[in-house]
Amino acid sequence: MQLSVPLRVTDLVKTYRTPGKPPLEAVKGVSFEVASGECLGLLGPNGAGKSTTMKCITGFFQPTCGEVTILGHDVHRDPREARRGLGVCAQDDNLDTDFSVLDQMVQFGVYFGINRREGERRSLELLRRFGLLDKKDELVEELSGGMRRRLQVARSLINQPKVLVLDEPTTGLDPEARRVLWDILAEERRKGLAILLSTHYMEEAERLCDRVAIIHLGKIVTVGDPRALIEREMGSVPVREEIRPGFPIERLPNLEDVYLKLTGARLSTGVAFS
Amino acid sequence: MHNEVGQFVSLSYRAVYAVWLRYFAVFRKNWFYGLVTTFAEPILFLLSFGLGLGSLIGTLRVGGVSVGYRPFVLAGIVGQTVLIQGFFEASYGGFVRMYYQRIFQAIAVTPVTLSEVLWGETAWGASRATLAASAVLIIGVALGDFSVLGALLLVPACFVFSMIFAALGLLVAARSKTIESISYPQYLLVFPMFLFCGVFFPLSQLPVMVQKAAWLFPLTPVLSLVRTLVLGFPLEIQAPFLVIFWVALLVPLSRRFMIGRLLR
Ligand SMILES: Nc1ncnc2c1ncn2[C@@H]1O[C@H](COP(=O)(O)OP(=O)(O)OP(=O)(O)O)[C@@H](O)[C@H]1O
Ligand SMILES: [Mg+2]
Repeated sequence: MQLSVPLRVTDLVKTYRTPGKPPLEAVKGVSFEVASGECLGLLGPNGAGKSTTMKCITGFFQPTCGEVTILGHDVHRDPREARRGLGVCAQDDNLDTDFSVLDQMVQFGVYFGINRREGERRSLELLRRFGLLDKKDELVEELSGGMRRRLQVARSLINQPKVLVLDEPTTGLDPEARRVLWDILAEERRKGLAILLSTHYMEEAERLCDRVAIIHLGKIVTVGDPRALIEREMGSVPVREEIRPGFPIERLPNLEDVYLKLTGARLSTGVAFS
Repeated sequence: MHNEVGQFVSLSYRAVYAVWLRYFAVFRKNWFYGLVTTFAEPILFLLSFGLGLGSLIGTLRVGGVSVGYRPFVLAGIVGQTVLIQGFFEASYGGFVRMYYQRIFQAIAVTPVTLSEVLWGETAWGASRATLAASAVLIIGVALGDFSVLGALLLVPACFVFSMIFAALGLLVAARSKTIESISYPQYLLVFPMFLFCGVFFPLSQLPVMVQKAAWLFPLTPVLSLVRTLVLGFPLEIQAPFLVIFWVALLVPLSRRFMIGRLLR
């Protein structure tokens, strides 16, 4: 039997229809696949449509057009089966503040049909890996912002997913916590996890993602291996820029240059592409 | 085309139960808060109206039946409890869960669908209201005011009644822009129902026009059925049909509005 691609998105379109406002086409025909063990990064300016795309993928939104298949199941026709193997960490904090750290992980497992014993075993293991074990009996409100973020990512792994969708998972994490998360993601990828993640940190995307898709105004403008993209879009000519008045520097082009070029923005100060 | 996610998907009772368990776990964890907020209000009303006013008023004649004021108002408090507990848990509580905690959004990306989350929410609101109403029923039976059989039959009936008000609360949460604006339906709908649908005095005391108007609100048939069951009042035939009508209208409508709010 041929194994199906863990995540396939075909011609996704999503139009928001807010009463009293003109319809807003936030995603305008997006297609991509994520293979087993692969990490695809979704980059793009604020409002580009990253979160909207992800909410369609998780089956929360019904897309206006297009299709999403997770592990061979259409997420809108068969959400139960499709989402059994899906982990999600939304951009918004949606931790269940009525529960303690551990209880909320266990309760989340209940939604996947995981019994309490097994849920507790998995939760303790995840909390350990995410460095939250000593906080297990605390209420969510007693955690720092970065800890809450870590908990939300840890919670998304409770069902041992095959496909993981992370919307800006590292926003607010300190450098060490970020590294811990990268290591965990690398470990899970070795076991075959397919990851789709969005980020505004270009060096994170460069180092974490096998491929990045740059999305702008609801469309994917380019997709590929970060290094190949840099090579293709920027060549290997050094970039000169004045980082502060009177401090010109010369450096190798990076993913951020590609991003800024393709999303029509400019470097923060004095662009000088040679 | 409407955008209810899971429109092709049948309801899973296990999924609804998993959501219900979330609410139950919170209730159990904060059991003292749960007990106070569930039982204090019916019991305070009972003491004030049942014992206080009851000893003053004595006997009423309602529709050819002679009944003490205490049993009469005790039955009224059963209905009032179902209304208040169902409505407040679902409106304010539902708004907090939807808007501030974003719990619906978090659960609706697991194998549980948004529709099932909202069924679980309504079922929980109804369960809690039924629990509170049962406390009043037990007191009514203990005081010898209620028929035992009627009170037993009323427990499942109260669950159905509570669904009406839990659904009404959820609908209000879905349509409210801010948590403050829940006060409008609270003052303009819930309190008038509570004051004019016959909790504290027989509808027949009111002008005919007001009586007729009272039957437009769901609490009136609920109170009528409660008194038929526990006090042996004659059955007003429109009451069971009106209850079914309100359940059939509000339960799907509240879900539809909430889904419409979350998924534009
Ligand atoms: N619930 C909603 N209702 C109406 N419009 C929305 C809603 N959510 C997002 N939008 C609009 O859709 C567009 C895309 O938003 P989206 O959240 O997908 O962007 P994003 O790429 O995730 O941005 P960010 O980097 O800021 O998270 C924006 O113009 C936004 O205003
Ligand atoms: Mg976003």
